Amino acid sequence: MNTADVLSLQTVLVKRPGNIASDMDGEKVMLNVKNGKYYNLGEVGGEIWSALDEPVSINRIVQVIQETFDVPAETAEQDVFEFVQSLLAEDLVAIDSGS
Amino acid sequence: MASTVQGLAYKAFGLQIFSEFPLPELPLTDEPGLIGSVVVIRGDLAERWQAIPKVTPSLGVLGSEVMFEAKDTAIFSIQDGIRITVSPAAGADMDCVRLYILGSCMGVLLMQKKILPLHGSALVLDNKAYALVGRSGAGKSTLASYLMDQGHLLVSDDVIPVMVQEGQPLAVPGYPQQKLWQQSLDYMGMNSSLYRPLFERETKFAVPVHDRFQTEPLPLAGVFELAVSEEEGPVTVQPINGMERFHTLFNHTYQKAIVDRIGIREWHFGMLASFVNRLPMYRLTRPKQGFSAPQQTSLIFETIKPQMEER
Repeated sequence: MNTADVLSLQTVLVKRPGNIASDMDGEKVMLNVKNGKYYNLGEVGGEIWSALDEPVSINRIVQVIQETFDVPAETAEQDVFEFVQSLLAEDLVAIDSGS
Repeated sequence: MASTVQGLAYKAFGLQIFSEFPLPELPLTDEPGLIGSVVVIRGDLAERWQAIPKVTPSLGVLGSEVMFEAKDTAIFSIQDGIRITVSPAAGADMDCVRLYILGSCMGVLLMQKKILPLHGSALVLDNKAYALVGRSGAGKSTLASYLMDQGHLLVSDDVIPVMVQEGQPLAVPGYPQQKLWQQSLDYMGMNSSLYRPLFERETKFAVPVHDRFQTEPLPLAGVFELAVSEEEGPVTVQPINGMERFHTLFNHTYQKAIVDRIGIREWHFGMLASFVNRLPMYRLTRPKQGFSAPQQTSLIFETIKPQMEER
């Protein structure tokens, strides 16, 4: 099943353990200790990653991004969905099965 | 005996080293080092070595203590970034013990002190430090030796301590010695019989370089990763960009395997992130055959020319 089909604003996401994030001149960079890959999450991605410190719904992340970067809800929603897809594809987050 | 050496301290890697073992290749100092002071003492570690939890058969870690065993040579303990204890095996070659003290032990100790030990050679080019890193056999020492021949000072050979101050990396001098392979000496026209062979490496020689050594730390202005191509052709240079820089610096961290074992991966990653964006990095590829240090040198200077003109 393609995860794109099941993602909704109500979907709750959890971080997979084993990632180390750090700040690099305002951008968030990350190391996945398990696969040894380095990621640049960028500024917006960094905020999304921080919002994921606890299991959180996509809806809530959209709100955070909208407020932090002062962008229309539609833009925030699109950015968040796109970014979350990449996080899922890289197995950095998972859909909370408890939700 | 111990009391007579108490007053004697050596200078290397930004450290003031009080050592019960003579370290003749190091200059003496009576000042505390930029990075601090350490003691190197003799002690019986047999019981401690038995007790310490092992992460590999020859490496043990417990809290802030790292121990390792070099068979038939010694057991070493590096503690809190301030103390190295050495328990030599019966009949151990002391030249060999010293190589471990100045190499592996110092690498671990620097990491305990939150200093990044880069594996490579650093030289002074245009009043700034540039690091040459690369796998074994990539030609670090040969190129370093050639650059020194051209009048450039050596900052460090093998272990380069890198400190970060206000987001700027700083290369700290190691000690005035270079290790060269026989082949490198031949290329450089040096007579190997004048130099003392390093332990168990009959074809590798220690070359003192007191007159061509940088004694004070310098900003680290760039990193050249040396690579070898199977194909014939000219020496080439390519910038290393983006997140690949993290890989490059991690790969060329001295004893990188220990980073996870002593639980400092988070610190290591964070410290790389704090300066990696401001440090130009390049991959310098030479053909496998032949002596290409002169071509590598001209390409390095061509590459750093814009940086030189900025100043």
